Amino acid sequence: MAYPEPPISMKQSNDLPKDAASFRGVPDVLAHADLTESSAELLLDSALYSLEAVYGASFTFIDRCFVFLDKTPEGQFRVTLAAKKPGATQEQLRDFVGEFSNELLACAWREKITAQNRGAIEAVTMQALAGAMGPPSLDDLEDFDFSEEPFEDPLGIAMSWEEKYGKDKAKRKEGEPSEGDDEAAAASAKDGA
Amino acid sequence: MRELRFHRDVYAGEQVDAALKLYERFGTLSTTEEGEHFVVRIESKNAARERRLAGELANYALGLTIRTRGAS
Repeated sequence: MAYPEPPISMKQSNDLPKDAASFRGVPDVLAHADLTESSAELLLDSALYSLEAVYGASFTFIDRCFVFLDKTPEGQFRVTLAAKKPGATQEQLRDFVGEFSNELLACAWREKITAQNRGAIEAVTMQALAGAMGPPSLDDLEDFDFSEEPFEDPLGIAMSWEEKYGKDKAKRKEGEPSEGDDEAAAASAKDGA
Repeated sequence: MRELRFHRDVYAGEQVDAALKLYERFGTLSTTEEGEHFVVRIESKNAARERRLAGELANYALGLTIRTRGAS
C-alpha cells in the first residue's frame, strides 16, 4: 500500500547539525538547539505564517538574540535565534523558541485582524482627516454638486415637506385635487368643528 | 571564518550593503552572490569576535530591511 507524501513540515531534514539537541515535545525537524553555537533553529511553514508576521516576531527579538532568517528551497522560513552571549543552556534556548512562537502567532493574528478591518480603519481615518481639514471654503461650496442624491431611499420616506404636503401645481391646473389639498381640507374641517 | 547567507526574498540587498558598510571596520567582509543568496564571509581576530560580528551584522541588516519594508 502506498502512503501519501507527508507535508513539508514533517519531512526528515538531512541538514541537522551533528550535535543538535531536541526540545521536549517538539519534533527535531521543526525546532532544535545547537549548544555549541548557543542557538536554536525553527522551521516555519510559509502557508501558516506570512513573511510580515515573521518580520514582526523577529523584530521583537533583535534586542535579546542574534536573529537570522532564511528560506528553504521548499519555501519554509528558517529562523535562527542565537544568544548574544555564548554558553546558553538548552532551557534558555527552549524559552527563546517558545516565546518566539507565541510572538509569531500574535503577529500572524494581528495581521489577519488588520486585513479584515482595513475598510473600517480607512473610513475612520478619512473622516478624521476630513475633520482636521476644517470647514469647506466658499469656493469649495461653489464647486459642490448639490444635485447628487445624499443617500439611497428605496422606501421613499426621506421626502421633503414640500414634496409630501405641498400643492401640486400641475394637478391644480387640471382641476384635480391633489393629495396635499385633501389633507389641507381635512385639517380645515377639523378646525371648523 | 563564518559565512552568512542572506536570502533575496527575505533581505533587501541595499540594506545588506548598508550593514556591511557599517561593520566592515570590525573585520574582513567579502561578498558574493550565489543563486538566491547574498553570501557574506566574515573573518576577524578570533572565533568569538567573528560570531558577534556576524550576529550584529545580521541583526542590523534585518532591522533595516523591516524598517524600509514598513515604510514602503
